[in-house]
Amino acid sequence: MAGSKVKQDMPPPGGYAAFDYKRNLPKRGLSGFSMFGIGIGIMMFGYWRLFSWNRERRRLQIEELEARVALMPLLQAEHDRRTLRMLRENLEEEAVIMKDVPGWKVGESVFHTDRWVTPMTEELFNLRPREELLHKRFGFLWYV
Amino acid sequence: MISTLLNVLVGPLVLVLFVVLAVALLTLVERKVLGYMQLRKGPNVVGPYGLLQPFADALKLLTKEPVRPSTASPLLFLVAPVMALILALTLWTPMPLPFPVADLNLGILFILALSSLAVYSILGSGWASNSKYALIGALRAVAQTISYEVSLGLILLNAIIFTGGFTLQTFSVAQESTWLILPAWPLAAMWYVSTLAETNRAPFDLTEGESELVSGFNVEYAGGPFALFFLAEYANILLMNTLSATLFLGSSVSHAIPELTSITLMIKAVLLSVLFLWVRASYPRFRYDQLMHLIWKNFLPLTLALVIWHLSLPIALSGLPPQL
Amino acid sequence: MPTTLEVPTPQELKVDEVNVSSAVLKAAAHHYGSQCDKPNKEFMLCRWEEKDPRKCLEEGRKVNECALNFFRQIKGNCAESFTEYWTCLDYTNLAELRHCRKQQQAFDSCVLEKLGWERPQLGDLSKVTKVATSRPLPENPYHSRPRPEPNPAIETKLEPSKYGSRLFFWNW
Repeated sequence: MAGSKVKQDMPPPGGYAAFDYKRNLPKRGLSGFSMFGIGIGIMMFGYWRLFSWNRERRRLQIEELEARVALMPLLQAEHDRRTLRMLRENLEEEAVIMKDVPGWKVGESVFHTDRWVTPMTEELFNLRPREELLHKRFGFLWYV
Repeated sequence: MISTLLNVLVGPLVLVLFVVLAVALLTLVERKVLGYMQLRKGPNVVGPYGLLQPFADALKLLTKEPVRPSTASPLLFLVAPVMALILALTLWTPMPLPFPVADLNLGILFILALSSLAVYSILGSGWASNSKYALIGALRAVAQTISYEVSLGLILLNAIIFTGGFTLQTFSVAQESTWLILPAWPLAAMWYVSTLAETNRAPFDLTEGESELVSGFNVEYAGGPFALFFLAEYANILLMNTLSATLFLGSSVSHAIPELTSITLMIKAVLLSVLFLWVRASYPRFRYDQLMHLIWKNFLPLTLALVIWHLSLPIALSGLPPQL
Repeated sequence: MPTTLEVPTPQELKVDEVNVSSAVLKAAAHHYGSQCDKPNKEFMLCRWEEKDPRKCLEEGRKVNECALNFFRQIKGNCAESFTEYWTCLDYTNLAELRHCRKQQQAFDSCVLEKLGWERPQLGDLSKVTKVATSRPLPENPYHSRPRPEPNPAIETKLEPSKYGSRLFFWNW
């Protein structure tokens, strides 16, 4: 049979036009590499600022410590005198309290030594109001 | 006497009052922000702009009859929500706003310890409810919270290496020249995500999981105890955001006008909280395995590596902070 | 040998104290450290060597004398700028020096002009120093007991033990 009546449905000569099926998003913003670079750059800048400030802070701390170093002899001398004065007052008080006890030696050391024993805070403040002991212990703490 | 009373009683109470007030308004802000993000209005009937809505809610919840399931463990069932709220409020003790209620030497460790304790209130409530849903919800919440606490701790360690102190005030001194978010932004990002998971917020709110668990560990709660849980949750959210602000968003103290400190700090915290809400409005919930992979397979190795890096770098460049 | 506690009399302890607050002390600290260097170091050396506050009272008295003299000189010459400086320190939280550089500058220049005192450089005050002193070195400040006699030398010939060391048990 030469030539059928039926005309088969065929693509147009040359085929269909290209069909746009790909995801088509416009490229926005910076490329990945440059964002990465910016992130690293920010970190580097931050490290630099932070580290230089930390060094400065160390210098400031040395200054603060030196203020304490300079004042230490003065404070220590005052503290020593205060301790000794309180010990003397305690001894006088002890003599008054224990005057009726026969054979009591006022100020007898409880330690088997004759070297200087730094008295405990409780020992110093034993005969004083409790308020003073608490103040001595906790009055100058600036953190808990 | 008077000053002791002021220090011991009135100071903390004022702080508690303001925290609870902030929590109340945060719930309103949440509903408003979520509403506008979904093109609706949010509560606007009770009071101007719905400002009285949280108080009306509280009133409703507190006047309702507290349901006590007959099979529940009666003591633990009531102790758990109380403990949750007390812990959430105690957590605010060492926060520098700009002065803490108690100047703790190891304030950061205190916060870490107490926020891990919060797990027990969840676990207790879930178990005491004697309900499958509550128990499974509690287990999920606990597993998630303690997992994310690991990365929180490691990130805190990094920040402590940078600033040289466990007190939160040292952070404001250390960030006077630069915000810590600049040198440590990867840490800050991980920190923020971890706080989201730590407070069981979207997209990590698997404990709620309405479709499978009804509403998590607090299904059986109603009325007052539920209100306590609710308050505790939002107090924790606010606390975490304040903590993030002090840790990463710079020193809020301006030495010229020190009165502005609290306002600056709280503005930063509020911006972070709104970001919480934005995240909640934008992202779908994680799957449970994804949640666990994120912490154990991504955050944990990364933060561990960063701890080593951030230890070695300041030592190499002699940028270590002063040690007291 | 329980001993009785010996405490010096109040007359010995009576010294004119420096009655100023911490901010004043801190504001003056650096200049004080460089001006009263001699008695301060002397006192600290005594305290270190003697280990006993009762034996360093004289040195402590000198420290206080120098400090009083120092503060009198400041009061006579630079009272105004000094007061400004320490009030500034008093108003900052932990009395940090870094918040009061301007007032410190004024005070330093006043002191340099009127008294010729220069502020010590950073690190000068914390240097390790040698102190020349006429005080004799204390003998046995810890009151430790005499050292025991050394063991007498063994006269006999030492031989290796017959069955080896008893600490050695790895012997199969």
